[in-house]
Amino acid sequence: MSEALQISNLHKRFGGLIAVRDVSFSLAPGEVVGLLGPNGSGKTTVMNMISGALPCDGGTIRLGQTDITKMKPHRVAKQGVARTFQLVRPLPTLTVGENVLLSLAFGHRRHWGREARELVEEKLAFVGLAGRGDEQVSNLTYIDQKRMEMARALASEPELLLLDEWLAGLNPSELKIGIDLVQHLQGQGMTVLLVEHIMEAVRALCSRCIVMSAGEVIAEGPSAEVLAQPAVIKAYLGDDHA
Amino acid sequence: MTMKPSIAFPVAAAVLAVLAAAPLFIPDYWTGVLLGMTGYVTLATAWALFSGPTRYVSLATVAFFGVGAYVVAVLNEALPYPLVLLSAAGIGMILALAVGLSTLRLAGVYFVIFTFGLAELVRQTVSWWEVNITYTMGRYVFLPFEGRHIYWQLLALAAVTLLISWAIGRSRLGLALKAIGDDEVVAAHAGIDVTRVKLLLFVISATLITLVGAIQAPRWTYIEPSIVFNPTVSFMTLIMALLGGPMRLWGPALGAIPLFLLFEWLSVSFPDHFSIILGLLFILIVFVMPQGVLAKIDDIRKGGRA
Repeated sequence: MSEALQISNLHKRFGGLIAVRDVSFSLAPGEVVGLLGPNGSGKTTVMNMISGALPCDGGTIRLGQTDITKMKPHRVAKQGVARTFQLVRPLPTLTVGENVLLSLAFGHRRHWGREARELVEEKLAFVGLAGRGDEQVSNLTYIDQKRMEMARALASEPELLLLDEWLAGLNPSELKIGIDLVQHLQGQGMTVLLVEHIMEAVRALCSRCIVMSAGEVIAEGPSAEVLAQPAVIKAYLGDDHA
Repeated sequence: MTMKPSIAFPVAAAVLAVLAAAPLFIPDYWTGVLLGMTGYVTLATAWALFSGPTRYVSLATVAFFGVGAYVVAVLNEALPYPLVLLSAAGIGMILALAVGLSTLRLAGVYFVIFTFGLAELVRQTVSWWEVNITYTMGRYVFLPFEGRHIYWQLLALAAVTLLISWAIGRSRLGLALKAIGDDEVVAAHAGIDVTRVKLLLFVISATLITLVGAIQAPRWTYIEPSIVFNPTVSFMTLIMALLGGPMRLWGPALGAIPLFLLFEWLSVSFPDHFSIILGLLFILIVFVMPQGVLAKIDDIRKGGRA
C-alpha cells in the first residue's frame, strides 16, 4: 500500500544554519502523527516545505504517487494538502463564511455557487460554528477563530491536513473541544500531521510520534515509547532530567 | 449599494441613457465638464479594480493613460480610428504585462515608489525618443471629433468598466482578490495562484486606463509628453478612488464626481494654489475616511464605530 506522505532526505539551509538535515519519515493513510521537538528544532520548517511555503534545498516530498517537492503553495493545496498556521490567520475583510468559501472555490476540489454555500454551512457546523457564516471575523473569540481556520482547511477536502500548533493557546475546556474535533477527523479517516507542544493532546491523538532536535529526527515510533526515551527527554528538558 | 440586480440594471440603463442624451440639450461647456468627469470616473473605477482589493497602491495610472494618448497621436493619420484604439489597448496591455511580471513581487511602499518611477521613466523615454529618433517634440491629433463624440466613447468605456468591476466582484476572482489583499500567504495556501491573479487584474486595469488616454487624445489636438504624462492624473485618480471607497463597485465613481467638479472649480478660481489645496485634501481624506465615504456612511448608519 502506498504511503499518504513520504518524505525522504529533506534538507534546508538558512545561510550558514542548517535548519533541517536529512529528515525522512512517512505517514500511512488515515494516520495521525505528531511532529515534536523543542523550539527551533525545524518542525515548522518541515511543515512549510511540505506545504510549499519554503523551497527545499534537497530531498523529496511525495503525496501519494505525486512528487510535490518543487510545487508552489497553491499547487500543493490543489493536490490535496491543507494547513493551519501557528498564529491564526483569519482574513479580516471576508466574513466567516467567505473565509471558508475560499478553500472551497480554489482548493483540492473546486466548488462555487449554491453547492459551495451549502458546503460552507456544513463545514462550519462540523467545527461548531453553525449559522455564523455571515459574521465578521473580528467578532470571533480566539477558539472560534481557530475553529474557522480548521473549517477553512477542511473545506478544500484535503487528503493531508497539517496542523501547526493548532491547539496552542487554548484553555483546558477549549483544549478538550479541540482534541475532540481532531479525533472526529481521525474517525473519518483523515491523515494528519500535527506539530504540537501539548503532551496531553499528543498522547490523546497520535498513535505515532516523530521527534526532531536541531534539525534532525532523533526518535520515531509509538507515542508512549518515544516520549519515554532518554534522548527525547534530554532534548526537551536538558541533561539533568535524562 | 445593495439593490437587487433586477432593479439595479434597469436603473443603471436609464441613467446611462439620460447621460448619453445630455449633450444634445446642454451647452458645449457642460458637455466638456461631463467628458472630463466621465474620464475620471473610468480612471478611478479601473484603478480600483486592481488596487482596491489587493491594496497595491499604483501611481502608474498616468504612464498607461499617457501611452494611450501618445499611440493615438502617432498613429491617428496612419490607421483607421478603430485600429488606432485597438493598437493603443494592445500596447497598454503589453506594457502592463511587462511591468506586472517584473514588479508584482514587490509589496507595500516599494510597489508605490516603483509605479511612480515607472510613470517618469515612460515619460522621459518618450521625450528622448521624440527628440533624438523622430526629431519631433509634440504632435498633432487630427480626428473629426467634437466633444460629444469623445464623451460618448468615454461613457461607453465607463459602462464597460463598471460592468467588468461588477462581474469580478461577484466571481471567484473577486473573492481571490480580497483574500490576496488580506493575506497573500493564506490565499496561496487556499489554492490561489496569487501571481497570476494579480497580473491578470493589473493588465485589465491598465488596459482600461490606456483606453481612457487614447479616447481623450483628440481633445487636446496638440500633444507632448509634459501634457499627457502629468503625474497629477495619477494622484487625482488615487484620491478619487480613496474618497469614494476603492473596495466598492460605485465607490470610485462617487468619489470622482464631486472631486472632479471641485478640482475644475479650484483650477479656474485658484490656479496658483491648486497643488497646495490638492495636497491638503489628500491628507484630509486619508486621515478622516481611510475606507472611503461609503464605508463612513455605513458606520454612521450603524450608530458609529463600536
